Amino acid sequence: MMLAVAKALMSLATCCLGESRRDWAFAMQGEFDAAIEEGCPLTFAAGCLIAAWREMPRQAEGRLVLANYALALGLLLPMAVLQFTHAIGVILLFIGQVGPGGLLSSGGTQNPYLVWSQLSAAPILLMLWLLLGVGHLRLAWVLVDRDWSSVVKVGALIGAATVTLFTFMGVLFLDVGSLISHAAALAFEFAAIIAAARGQARLVLAASPDLLAW
Amino acid sequence: MVRNRRPSKQMLLLLDALSAHAQQWRHGYDLMKETGLLSGTLYPLLMRMTDQGLVEAEWREPAQPGRPARHAYRLTAAGLALALNVATPAAISSSKVALA
Repeated sequence: MMLAVAKALMSLATCCLGESRRDWAFAMQGEFDAAIEEGCPLTFAAGCLIAAWREMPRQAEGRLVLANYALALGLLLPMAVLQFTHAIGVILLFIGQVGPGGLLSSGGTQNPYLVWSQLSAAPILLMLWLLLGVGHLRLAWVLVDRDWSSVVKVGALIGAATVTLFTFMGVLFLDVGSLISHAAALAFEFAAIIAAARGQARLVLAASPDLLAW
Repeated sequence: MVRNRRPSKQMLLLLDALSAHAQQWRHGYDLMKETGLLSGTLYPLLMRMTDQGLVEAEWREPAQPGRPARHAYRLTAAGLALALNVATPAAISSSKVALA
């Protein structure tokens, strides 16, 4: 069990060191066997992980990884929570615990036909908010994983879901005020992701100058 | 690159261990045992000293088949000069013996 944990810590340390320090990751891995023979693999592996963490801010690749984690934990996950909160609001509306007044735009009248339409559209709104929440969780995951093709796909899905939500709420005369701040946050989020992607592209080009010739 | 600042206590320990047998290649784990430094301190130090040209590293074939290759380290001429510069008189005499 202790050996399995130590091996997991060594793998994590290797991941954290990145390509620029790959040799050092192998060097640590090479000494890991000696640590196992001496009976202290866990202490050695924990130290290697600490060494990798200490090294991360010093390397461009490490800084990018840290920036991606900061973006995922500081922006994308709170956005996901916000969207799930909106989804819960729609569920409460649907099960009748709150009236649609909370969602109506200011000065809106309580036209029974409109209220009926709004309540009928609640499942679609719920689905869209849930899609946005799950989309943000997935976006955080693929961003940390630096799977840029998935980042583009999930980003496009979030953009499409936001436009659809905006259209639906506008047609149903629901309060789109919250969506405006949501769209602003989304724009900021996408700008940060594009900056991260550009940072990654610069790193790749720096690592393989041959690519510049293409 | 020449360091202007006085080396840290940990770096002095490592310089001392490496300069004791200056021509000998040393493995990371042996250095850990000799200096008492933990891997979390030793490896960042070795990385920094290699980047600064104070330590050279090379891959060594494993002693037993099936084992991974091991990184071995020794001081460069600049590293040895620094070690002699900052070392205590007792350490200097032992370094000279090792070089002889």
